[in-house]
Amino acid sequence: MSGTEPLYRAAMKVLIVEDETKTADYLQRGLREQGYVVDVARDGISGRHMALEYEYDVIVLDVMLPGVDGFAVLSALRERRHTPVIMLTARDRVDDRVRGLREGADDYLIKPFSFLELIARLQALTRRSRGQEAMQLRIADLHIDLLARKAWRDGQRLELTAKEFALLAALARRKGEILSKTTIAELVWDVNFDSDTNVVEVAVKRLRAKLDTPFATNLLHTVRGMGYVLEARTSPEVLT
Amino acid sequence: MNLSISQRLAAMFAITSLVLLSMAAVAMHCLLERELTRHQMNELESRWHLHEPFIHRNNDAAYWDYVASKLDSILTDSQRVRMWVVGEDDRFRYGADLDEAQRATAYTDGFGELLVEGRRMKSFSGEVSAHGERPAVRMMIALDSTPFAETLQTFTMGLVALMVLGAVAAAALGSYIAGIGLRPLGRLSREAQALTPNDLSRRLQTDTLPPELSQLAQAFNGALGRLESAYQHLEGFNADVAHELRTPLGNLIGQTQVTLSRERDAQELKELLHSNLEDLERLRGIVNDMLFLARADRGESAPNRVEVSVAQEVQRAVEFLEFVLEEAEVKVRIEGDARASIETSLFGRAITNLLQNAVQHAPRGAEVVVDVRQQSSDVRVSVRNPGPSIGREHLARMFDRFYRVDSARSGSHENHGLGLAIVRAIATMHGGNVFADSGEQGTVIGFTVAAG
Repeated sequence: MSGTEPLYRAAMKVLIVEDETKTADYLQRGLREQGYVVDVARDGISGRHMALEYEYDVIVLDVMLPGVDGFAVLSALRERRHTPVIMLTARDRVDDRVRGLREGADDYLIKPFSFLELIARLQALTRRSRGQEAMQLRIADLHIDLLARKAWRDGQRLELTAKEFALLAALARRKGEILSKTTIAELVWDVNFDSDTNVVEVAVKRLRAKLDTPFATNLLHTVRGMGYVLEARTSPEVLT
Repeated sequence: MNLSISQRLAAMFAITSLVLLSMAAVAMHCLLERELTRHQMNELESRWHLHEPFIHRNNDAAYWDYVASKLDSILTDSQRVRMWVVGEDDRFRYGADLDEAQRATAYTDGFGELLVEGRRMKSFSGEVSAHGERPAVRMMIALDSTPFAETLQTFTMGLVALMVLGAVAAAALGSYIAGIGLRPLGRLSREAQALTPNDLSRRLQTDTLPPELSQLAQAFNGALGRLESAYQHLEGFNADVAHELRTPLGNLIGQTQVTLSRERDAQELKELLHSNLEDLERLRGIVNDMLFLARADRGESAPNRVEVSVAQEVQRAVEFLEFVLEEAEVKVRIEGDARASIETSLFGRAITNLLQNAVQHAPRGAEVVVDVRQQSSDVRVSVRNPGPSIGREHLARMFDRFYRVDSARSGSHENHGLGLAIVRAIATMHGGNVFADSGEQGTVIGFTVAAG
């Protein structure tokens, strides 16, 4: 992971209810490294117990579990608590998703899902309660005015189109976070489907031509296989 | 009740013959009855006219005993034929059981019926005019109708017996004939039972079948043909999936083995993981698309539909593709509009795939036209690109999974040959279909969605 800073400064507590050992392990490790405090339950019964007994900021709940399935855990939880829940479903069935959302899940992910997508959903769920965002963003010598929709680098005004600015703002708001192409498409174009297009690559290329090319250091970095990140790097770039 | 065809036919034959025979029997019965009655009347009338001059001639009461004995000698079979003479003068009388005869005829002329000594008789009476000392008398002749009735009854019983026998015979013959007639059906059914999935090319023999069954067997063979092609399609599809997955899997295994075969520094290992991730993302994309297509295959329809302006949704997709379009120097023009109930994210995906496809085939500086129009109960969305025309053989198959018109252009990370298959799946999920046409003025590819 290229970001050295955790995505979250305040320690968020996450419960992962997942019986697949490999999945549970990488989720635990990945989320810990992102600064979350992570508990893991490996079956429905202990998952239900932990979800009811301890305080969590968000629960990641697999649908298919030994003992008690995810829906049962969810309904038991909803009788007493409003902890945000993300359901993981391997079945690509509308009824599973609809059922999950109807019974009180806040979001769902279909396996196989990407880790970045999970992070994005977790943040979306926990960000809702956060306060007003800053209207001025600064990353190294980059200065963005979100209200005026203007950006400067090294004191020079960057001439960006509306979409280029939206892309820059989306990346800058999540400084240091890797944003997948899907997330970028959703944030910038409000497009929430997979497509066979290279729109995001083209957009990044254009933004880079105005943001990085004229200047000595690069701020917009490609993380192969994952997405893009906006941050000031001290070490020379190797991954682009 | 579930009767076999031959049982049904036998029953129908029996009922039909019973109805026809009954009609014939009733007609014959009526005819015979009328003839018998006419015969009796003729006899009565002729007998009356035969005896009338004899009675008329005799006007002497002293001579009446001779008349009576003469009449007795004539009426030898007195059981069958009876005769009475009666008038105001009691001296001129003839015949036993006179009261009954009088009561029956009630002094009226013509034909009548009466019951004498338990015998049903038909009668004819008339007046013989006065002559000399004899006043006018009434003369009645009666004929026993019992033998006629017996004849009629015997005849009727014979007819009923004939009817029953005829119906039974018709049923038996019908069953036998149906058995013969249905023999090809039995053979067909045995042939159909012998069909197995292992031999998909096998068909039912139609040349020896009667025309009615031949049609059925041909229809059945048609269904078998479609099944066979679907089956082969599925097999080919499985092979395609395996092939698509094999390339990234092979890369993953190979490059991981190469990297791990020597000591590598952290940077090289990191490089490997990134490369692996790219292939894995590709695998994930294929798997997700396959799952999506499977949803449409299961007949699932788009769940979250809202009624929107289709042209506006197309416009959104065009805005999304703005950079790609500029890069390719392709312009998009949207013509027409219609309202339809669609799931916008699915629709967006379909139109994006179509536009992407058009951009890939359109020459630089070209204009791609998206046409939206209402067509009876459907909304038709077509994307025309002025690129080189596509052969007929490709048009029919371009919506198939993993089908690439240009087989050289493959292996790109973003494009795994499912784009148009997904368009078709989305059209299906909206109760619509896909179409494609290609000619001198370019290629039109599009889909329909149900408007309601």
